[in-house]
Amino acid sequence: MYKPEIIEILERTRTGAYCTAKEWDTKRIPLAINRKLKEYGLGKSFDPENPVNCDDALADTFYKAGYELALELGMLCETTERIVKVSEEELSLALRYAPSEIFIGEGQDGRWIRTRTPSDPHPMVFGASMAIMLTEELWPIVTEGIIRELEVDLIEGPSLVTIYGREILTSSPFETLAGYVHAKRNRELRKKAGRPGMGALGITSSTSEFGQFGGYAVPGGFLPSDLSLCLFPSEMKINYSVLNKVVHTLNNDGYVFTGSPAMISGMPGPPEGAVLSAIACSLLQYPVLHASAGGGEIYDVRQLTNVNRAGIWTLSVANQALSRNTHLLTHAIANEVSGPCTESFLWESLVGVATIAASGVAIGAGPRPAGGKLAGYLTPLECRFCAEVAHKASGLARKTVNDIAREIIPRYEADIKNPNVGKPFTEAYDMKTMRPTPEWEAIYRKVKAEAISLGVPLDQY
Amino acid sequence: MNLEEVITKVYEAVMEGDAEAARTAAQIAVNDLKLGEPLRIVREGIQPAMDKIGKDFENGEAFLPNLMLAGDAAIATLEVILPFLQGDETGIRGVVVLGTVYGDMHDIGKNILSAILIANGFKVVDLGVNVQPKEFLEAAEKAGANIIATSTLLSTCLPYQRDLVNLLKDSGKRNKFFVICGGGPVTPEWVGSIHADGYGREAPDAVKVCEQLLSGGFVPPLEKPIVEGALKIG
Repeated sequence: MYKPEIIEILERTRTGAYCTAKEWDTKRIPLAINRKLKEYGLGKSFDPENPVNCDDALADTFYKAGYELALELGMLCETTERIVKVSEEELSLALRYAPSEIFIGEGQDGRWIRTRTPSDPHPMVFGASMAIMLTEELWPIVTEGIIRELEVDLIEGPSLVTIYGREILTSSPFETLAGYVHAKRNRELRKKAGRPGMGALGITSSTSEFGQFGGYAVPGGFLPSDLSLCLFPSEMKINYSVLNKVVHTLNNDGYVFTGSPAMISGMPGPPEGAVLSAIACSLLQYPVLHASAGGGEIYDVRQLTNVNRAGIWTLSVANQALSRNTHLLTHAIANEVSGPCTESFLWESLVGVATIAASGVAIGAGPRPAGGKLAGYLTPLECRFCAEVAHKASGLARKTVNDIAREIIPRYEADIKNPNVGKPFTEAYDMKTMRPTPEWEAIYRKVKAEAISLGVPLDQY
Repeated sequence: MNLEEVITKVYEAVMEGDAEAARTAAQIAVNDLKLGEPLRIVREGIQPAMDKIGKDFENGEAFLPNLMLAGDAAIATLEVILPFLQGDETGIRGVVVLGTVYGDMHDIGKNILSAILIANGFKVVDLGVNVQPKEFLEAAEKAGANIIATSTLLSTCLPYQRDLVNLLKDSGKRNKFFVICGGGPVTPEWVGSIHADGYGREAPDAVKVCEQLLSGGFVPPLEKPIVEGALKIG
């Protein structure tokens, strides 16, 4: 066996060294990261004037340091307060035998997800949207609208606020039922929209394991050929909830799709620390969680985004480190703060999605309009735009994307803390024709035309 | 060691997040205190350090672990000298019981709020994550809290914020505690709909809400919540 069997991992959650979450967060993580940054001279490498990294040697050094950090730290199981560590042999073999390609979905609607490298012309696969909350009335309309956007490769969000008029309560039978309802309706919508084999990514209406038990690998629900979303808390903390999802996925021969945020200004400290945390976390997902694909989200806890300078830089370095040094199927997200029907949203998406695509990420996902904070603020058009950028910016040179970022970030960065949240779906779309309003369409065309002039080879129509 | 040296030691210990060093320095002072001196430790040692670390966090020069450990060091110092302080000499502006609601394991936002509340002179009882409504109530009663603050990042956990308000009402204790809510899916509209008393979009906003609740002569429950930092819509 090339990686610890899952039963062995479960055993280590009961036998590993003791550590509380507080000690992990305030001592082990920051001290280990600081030491590594000093050891490799990586402190103060963040260059705010050049948000998209073009320095291969820097990315490679971060990778080496992140690899060592993964071995040093392991992952903390919060449920049992024990550390799960892996040996170098286990880590090395898990990475070596991780898949370099997987097929998600079925038939002609399915998608190959393949290893990519920086500026790889093979397009990044894109899943939409994030779990924006929608009423039961709007959810099928917007979900179908997203599915009908042919640029979108995988369907993820949005999420239901209620089922059958009742609130969905975490860790309750309501959530188990909601998971089934979401999955079943999602599959029906894929069929209705003419993409029955389109792959899905996560049961976003019910984020705990109960939702997954309800909707994944059950009759009428998600299939093992869909990605099973197994997210876990920041800075390498796992728990029995995510392990339940992992075991359930493996029981059904499915694809474990993992992810966890590394927080700039959080426990890892500066952007450089978040890079190391993201790399270590991404690597550990393979031996510990048996991931088929996964990654480290990046998030700046002070600005609540990752499309600011620090976020873009961190995204680019972490993902270049991984794509240059492994064949892993990595995953990343651009976290916008502006909302639908705004120019700023499209600019934030352009910079964020182009960065991850050009940095060699295999699967991108988004968007997260208005920071995901407002129910109803999601339209298919921003999903289309993000997917277009994901596909067309993939082969851009990093220097080109950096030039775009340097040009565009100043247009929105002053408003990041007080963004323009735009308009909800009901005001940004014509509900009868299911097309964007003339206003939203005009904004989209304008930004697209300028993006083309900046060097992003988007199709004009 | 004279008092000035103790104050410097406390300041440095809080800045470095060294609770042990802070406690040791405070103990030295306690063993040889004159009237009025404990207050100087608070005003010239703890408070400036917490102010500085709070500003450094905002500026990106300090990070969440620094904030949390500084808060621990401040608490360690206060535990030693509190018996020697009188009334509002403690500098404690209020007591806040804080936690992430049941079903939710996210803690970053809660941790930031906890540290910034301490930096701003509040005593914080942090219940951690996955906290049931009745645990909030029990802790608030035990601590003599003024405010219960709940956080969640999951929309499917929002009902547990309402459950807390309803529990307070049903147990006849609604007028004893202010309730404030925050977190990703939380909006001013939601907070108003569940008849909670305050909303802050980010941690500094929540602190402003706490300050207003305790200095505005209010009695819970408020007719309309105090809102700070709401996103501009429309």
